[in-house]
Amino acid sequence: MPSRTVTLTNPTGLHARPAKVFAQAAADSGLTVRVRKGDTTVNARSVLSILTLDCHLGDPITIDVDGDGAEAVLDELVTLVESGLGES
Amino acid sequence: MTASLVGIGAAPGIAVGPPLLVEPPVTEVADPGPAGPPAFEKERLHAALTQAAEELHAIAERARGFAGDEAEIFEAHAAFAEDPELEERAVALIDAGRSAVAAVGSAFAAFRELLAASSSEYLAARAADLDDVSARVVAILAGVARAPELPPGRWVLLARELTPSQTAEIPREQIAGIVTETGSPTSHAAILARTLGIPAVVGASGVLRVADAARHIALDGRTGEVHVDPEEEVLEAFAVRDAQEAARRAHLDAARFEPGTTADGVAVELVANVAGLDDITSARAAGAEGAGLVRTELLFQDRRVEPTVEEQATYYGAVLAAFPGQRVVFRTLDVGADKPLPFVAREPEPNPALGVRGVRLSLRRPKLFEHQLRALLRSHRDRPGGGVTGIMFPLVSRVDEVVAARSELRRVADDEGIALEGIEVGVMIEVPSAALAAERIAAHVDFLSIGTNDLLQYVFAVDRLVAEVAELADVCEPLVLDLIGSVVEAADRHGAWVGVCGETASDPGVAGALVGLGVRELSMVPGALGEVKDLLRRHDLATLRSVADQARRAASAGDARALISRLG
Repeated sequence: MPSRTVTLTNPTGLHARPAKVFAQAAADSGLTVRVRKGDTTVNARSVLSILTLDCHLGDPITIDVDGDGAEAVLDELVTLVESGLGES
Repeated sequence: MTASLVGIGAAPGIAVGPPLLVEPPVTEVADPGPAGPPAFEKERLHAALTQAAEELHAIAERARGFAGDEAEIFEAHAAFAEDPELEERAVALIDAGRSAVAAVGSAFAAFRELLAASSSEYLAARAADLDDVSARVVAILAGVARAPELPPGRWVLLARELTPSQTAEIPREQIAGIVTETGSPTSHAAILARTLGIPAVVGASGVLRVADAARHIALDGRTGEVHVDPEEEVLEAFAVRDAQEAARRAHLDAARFEPGTTADGVAVELVANVAGLDDITSARAAGAEGAGLVRTELLFQDRRVEPTVEEQATYYGAVLAAFPGQRVVFRTLDVGADKPLPFVAREPEPNPALGVRGVRLSLRRPKLFEHQLRALLRSHRDRPGGGVTGIMFPLVSRVDEVVAARSELRRVADDEGIALEGIEVGVMIEVPSAALAAERIAAHVDFLSIGTNDLLQYVFAVDRLVAEVAELADVCEPLVLDLIGSVVEAADRHGAWVGVCGETASDPGVAGALVGLGVRELSMVPGALGEVKDLLRRHDLATLRSVADQARRAASAGDARALISRLG
């Protein structure tokens, strides 16, 4: 299952707004996307679950994607996080 | 019955109107009744969540027209209602025999607990948002009308506390003002009221009792005054105040992006205190000419491990990017034993105000200090749009601390291969010994920034949070003005500039006197910039100097304040 770790670059980390951008992209992919911080892994389509990870600027998060075309989706999601999730 | 009380002003402006009691949203249904077949309950659940999300999207859409960015709160609320994990948890509870209304309440409560348990203030505040959404879904399932049609007219809303959606759902044109029994000025509802320009008073304890059968409520959202069934004189006075405030706001707004200067064109940099990234927006909107005090503590608090150099550099970079071409002064880590960091193990101190804090801590934790300097230097090097970056050391009490901190900065800069071009080094003058040694300190730095809050505390040996003694520590005490004047004179002899950061800079008259003493940069909360700018632009430097000189030699703080208040 393709997986990559990426560092959050947007100022507020995964506050509600950027978390929503990320969850939307995960949902749009149609694949199973999980996001992990430390020992906790959550459903990336769930804004509430992402919020409970309490992610800040500079935190590394790991994204797992499962399904057909997972590599391409992972690329997209990593680019999205690196571009600041619509925040800056 | 006529009555008056005072709460906390949460959104400025005057409002007069008949009261309308707003009931709190229903968050629980006393008896949800027996659950229907699971398939039926699941269908109801899904329909209610979808309806709630649709309503919230619609509120966001409507709010966008008048509330701009604040409208996004409701998009976040909609995302909560649409959350797949939330629905999944509720479905599992329905499978276990619960009704839709009971299941969704428990599912929201479970997430609420996770958020409320976080040490992050941001997440804890989202817990309240979750309640708001939960109440909406529960109301839909229970068939309770949530937002009753308001009778026609303009009302002063009375409530124990208003939720953001209550504030936004009631048509703006029907709200004259808001008074709540509890609540804080930083709640979403208060922020929304400010954004919408609705005068609001929060924390008006007792208002629900005294306003029970009132016909009229008058409130001043700046002073926090609330008058129930006011006398004619009060209404007249409020009408006058209202007109004056409106004219004043328009006047200050018009000069928002004009530079800070005296009437005869002497530049005074009017800049903002920035504690977190949220402050940047208000600083820019208020026309700040830069940032005179960027507190870096926020990045370190609530953390189990020290933030990495990269993370710090990204954060500092985000602040710098907001002020292209302008001066931004960062204060290096200023914490002490009263706010211990988990990754800096320290013994508790009997008196944290006099212990290892500010630069004292940085010099004792060389790695921590080095990492912060590295991050500051890198963010300056990569700064888009250029501009001067200031690095300022807090709680300096001796010149050798300045020499040590400065040489560490030079060493790290050499190590990073970053030139110190465009970087200014400064010292906070907040300890009396540093103020008295200003001459020797100024020889080593580019600027001094007088932190009046702490300076007053240490000069008078007064904790300003102790109300009984707080008034002893008055910036208008002639000896304090004289001390500030002598710091400026010492700095002048070494070509260093002097700024003031601290609450005193936001008092327009005092700000005028400080400029008269030779201060050329004033850093304050963004909301105070307009009034200070207005005062400075009305007086030439000679007038400000003359007032400052007289105040410096006055017999008492009262006399000095009287002189200063003439600047008006």
